[in-house]
Amino acid sequence: MSSDSLIEIKNLSVEFQTDDGQVKAVKNISFSIPRGKTMGLVGESGSGKSVSSLAIMRLIPNPPGKITSGEILFDGQDLLKLSEPQMRKIRGNRISMIFQEPMTSLNPVFTIGDQICETLMLHRGMDKKAALAKVVELLDQVGIPNPAQRVNSYPHEMSGGQRQRVMIAMAIACEPDLLIADEPTTALDVTIQKQILELLAKLQKEYNMSVLFITHDLGVIADIADQVVVMYRGDIVEQGRTLDIFQQPQHPYTKGLLACRPSLDKNPLRLPTVSDFMTEEGKEKNFDVESIKQVKASRPVQEEKNPVLLEVFELEKHFPTKKGIFGNVQEWLKAVDNVSFKVRKGRTLGLVGESGCGKTTLGRSLLRLIEPTAGQVLYNGTDVTSLDRKAMRQMRRKMQIIFQDPYASLNPRMTVGSAIMEPMIIHGIGESKDERMEKAGELMDKVGLSRIMLNRYPHEFSGGQRQRICIARALAVSPEFIVCDESVSALDVSIQAQILNLLLDLQEELDLTYIFISHDLAVVKFISDEVAVMYGGKILEMNDALGIYENPQHDYTKKLLSAIPKGL
Amino acid sequence: MSQSQKPPARRNSLWWDALRHLRRQPLAMVSLGVILFYVGLALLCSAGVIFTDYALVDHNRPYQEPSWENWLGTDIFGRDVLARAAHGSITSLSVGFVGTGLALVIGTLLGALAGYFGGRTDDLVVWFYTTVDTIPYILLVVSLAFIMGPSLQTLYLAIGLTFWVSHCRIVRAEFLKHRERDYVQGALAVGASHWRRIFIHILPNIFHLILINFSLVFVTAVKSEVILSFLGLGVEPGVPSWGMMINDARLELPRGVWWGLAAATGFMFFLILAFNLFNDALREALDPKRSRV
Repeated sequence: MSSDSLIEIKNLSVEFQTDDGQVKAVKNISFSIPRGKTMGLVGESGSGKSVSSLAIMRLIPNPPGKITSGEILFDGQDLLKLSEPQMRKIRGNRISMIFQEPMTSLNPVFTIGDQICETLMLHRGMDKKAALAKVVELLDQVGIPNPAQRVNSYPHEMSGGQRQRVMIAMAIACEPDLLIADEPTTALDVTIQKQILELLAKLQKEYNMSVLFITHDLGVIADIADQVVVMYRGDIVEQGRTLDIFQQPQHPYTKGLLACRPSLDKNPLRLPTVSDFMTEEGKEKNFDVESIKQVKASRPVQEEKNPVLLEVFELEKHFPTKKGIFGNVQEWLKAVDNVSFKVRKGRTLGLVGESGCGKTTLGRSLLRLIEPTAGQVLYNGTDVTSLDRKAMRQMRRKMQIIFQDPYASLNPRMTVGSAIMEPMIIHGIGESKDERMEKAGELMDKVGLSRIMLNRYPHEFSGGQRQRICIARALAVSPEFIVCDESVSALDVSIQAQILNLLLDLQEELDLTYIFISHDLAVVKFISDEVAVMYGGKILEMNDALGIYENPQHDYTKKLLSAIPKGL
Repeated sequence: MSQSQKPPARRNSLWWDALRHLRRQPLAMVSLGVILFYVGLALLCSAGVIFTDYALVDHNRPYQEPSWENWLGTDIFGRDVLARAAHGSITSLSVGFVGTGLALVIGTLLGALAGYFGGRTDDLVVWFYTTVDTIPYILLVVSLAFIMGPSLQTLYLAIGLTFWVSHCRIVRAEFLKHRERDYVQGALAVGASHWRRIFIHILPNIFHLILINFSLVFVTAVKSEVILSFLGLGVEPGVPSWGMMINDARLELPRGVWWGLAAATGFMFFLILAFNLFNDALREALDPKRSRV
């Protein structure tokens, strides 16, 4: 083996035994991780990227998983041939790992100090006192303020970003040769993500570690990785230097993946999708790249075509956070705090903000899925907040919502057909079952699905397909106004592009008005006419989409924009 | 129109999936077979097709040992023990099904209302079930038996009115969880009424828990019937019941008459065992966390 590689993976295959037979999660892949460099492993869900990293740690659950062939040479030693006790000496010591969800990867009943100490005492044979001193040093290194006191904190006393820092401190405690980071920033807000990426880059240099950075986000990869491996359905489709891959992708999948990501500096009319570049079988398609370079012109407001449809006036929603012994509320959380804005017909208002800023509460208050505390929501002049139950039900025909998680927002016990027909039954649309079925079929066609699928259950569909079903259901009552609450956040980028295009097409065809809620500024920029930035329950800044990105006024907006990975 | 030209070759819903899983478990299928055997036995007995001589008194043949004529011997009145035990399954199963059914209906309704509406409704229901829970059920049954007299109806009511509490707790917790889920919020967004959200949306999603609870409460109900009959609070004298047979065995055992006790406990043992094993398999088959990649 070449001495500049720390790990060499040769012909690795992993299979899983399922009810439907053998599934090949990783198919005969080979790559090596150089010493002291960061290797990015990119792929969408189900591409086998996490399975590959678990194989390195020998953490594939068996059964049902099995490494069927290959070698993993770590410093020339085949990890797959080691005994379990030998492997345990390597895990957490020479190879360590951080995970996506810092909430669940720390044990809630131990202090963070105890948890990091454990690693040190186990692998380094330190006594408790020495270990604790080292922990304070480590916490300082990963940027936890007041480390000497924070060692005694429990995980729930820390924020998500801090917890991820603690995870990193734990991972680097034994100065590993290889750090595997599996989507370490996916669950974090962009501003926090930026800090964590900077921290990882700094530590990588200081310790001269190799890092295997696994992510679905190409922007993040470009910021942090020296080399990239692109995985697709268990295969490596392309690998090379980050710069080369980004500037001259060879494989059609990589080309599609790079092109379909909305970005802040591009302003296309439509997003290309992976299927524009590649056939189902993985063959390259001739795609005219010029056709996507068409720039979206900003749509000026036309008073007669775009009258004000929705006017929100000093809307507030408060949640009690502390109650006295007699049930009297002593403290309130102002999730939505004195918010006013207007949305014009046929246009899209983007609502951006980080987690906890109140954007979802605002979206749901508009539809009275959550009862607002105060303020008015005027829809075509009617105050929605003061409607009685019957009038509100009529109003729901006009206002619809599409949720974030298409897995949770469809009733798993209802066929797709029943789900789409339900709103029609409630509102008395269609004379008979056949008529409603026919309309449901038309809606399926409209969102790009086959009407044969109507009698299937939601779990038989992929995430993107389910989101299409949710859209069809929302359209069943022919609404004028739709709140899209993080509607593409749970989807892979290539699917996200398809859904965004679909939303744009539907807006054009049906003259829909959207409020598009998202934490992703690039997505919001792509789809919106106007953008409002939320923070702490308030709207800080509102402008047309181009204006807010080119000329942000508020400091928070500037900070948010600068935190986005540039993706070269 | 052509919406369902070809139904999917493999039905894919939780229920079909669970059924497929169950069918691969030999123990579960044997247990189900045993349960169905008991149901069939009870139906045939009550229809008067088999063991019609269960009440035939023959004072000349008391306490006959098991023989070819009377496989499990005879009791003090010369009645065939096997026939009595077989008829006992009518009592047990009917108490099991009716009592459990009643308990589950009460528990599900109250739990659903409490969990779904929350607030005052919830306070009221929680107060109610904690209060009921503090009364030992034997006491409640004794008082019911005193008021109504020992009969099958008393047993139905006694079991129905006491066994709903734990089920109600579970249903309430599930409704609390599900009412915040996106699919229920989504139903509200399309204008679905409370009724629709409770019964069309949430209830089918927790139905597997109701089913699992059914088999749990069923076992307890069958055992309770035996205990209550043993205490003389169950069915009226003369009606065949395993509890009565065990009660009789108190006087019989010193005389070396073991077959009455053996028949009653044997019949009870296999029914309860089958139900418990089936319940385990059912719980696993319906567990959403079971990997079905």
